[in-house]
Amino acid sequence: MVDALREARRILRPRGILVDARPDSRVVAYAEHGAATGTYRQAGVIATSHEELVNDRSSDDAVATAVTSGWFRSRGAGRFWHRVLFEDRPTLQRYLDDHARFVHRVRWMVDPATRRRWDEDPWAIRRAVRHERFERL
Amino acid sequence: MATSTSAVGRLLPAISSLLRPPPAGELREYGGVALVRRKRVIDIGCGDGRMALGCAPHASEVVGVDPDPSAIRLARAKARELGAANVKFKVGVAQELPFADGYFDVAILSWTL
Repeated sequence: MVDALREARRILRPRGILVDARPDSRVVAYAEHGAATGTYRQAGVIATSHEELVNDRSSDDAVATAVTSGWFRSRGAGRFWHRVLFEDRPTLQRYLDDHARFVHRVRWMVDPATRRRWDEDPWAIRRAVRHERFERL
Repeated sequence: MATSTSAVGRLLPAISSLLRPPPAGELREYGGVALVRRKRVIDIGCGDGRMALGCAPHASEVVGVDPDPSAIRLARAKARELGAANVKFKVGVAQELPFADGYFDVAILSWTL
């Protein structure tokens, strides 16, 4: 990862901008139930998988190395939320089963009967994305 | 804080970019089109070209690089479909980019590091 940042610096002109954006594993994601009104309500919490937490920490370390090495300086950072919509709850669960980003089990905030009642309704995963802009030094 | 959305059906997409924010929304979060307007932009780890093609209408030149040849084929097909003449896609790795020193104004690592 440090090699990739070194190479990004090489191909950028002085004062060029590097944008680094990735899912923010420092905050949990949410399983949300979609109401008929089109709004979504938190129904569970989804943690990031251990492997992805380790990957994210490696990325953070690489960025820190690039900054302390004097390759880049931060020009601002932020976070936004992104909602991935699913047709129903089984589809959401299949996504969790098939993708490595999150743990496969939701920590539910609603009881099983309510979840079953909502099975065929729209669902979403709302997750945070963090980003930082760097100036090439 | 605004929340962007992507939708998937019962058949989950194999292309991960379908699970990511729309490029216009993502670009807005990074500072808007001013970030890339009339600039030379490289999207490192471009996948199927989601961000690169989102930048293309504003940038002077966009290059997307990804190690996955099938993703690059898809990105090129999308570029043709959109008529995006100022975008090129290349198979390559982030550690060894085939470009001259200081060629680009903006480098984007979106879901790459």
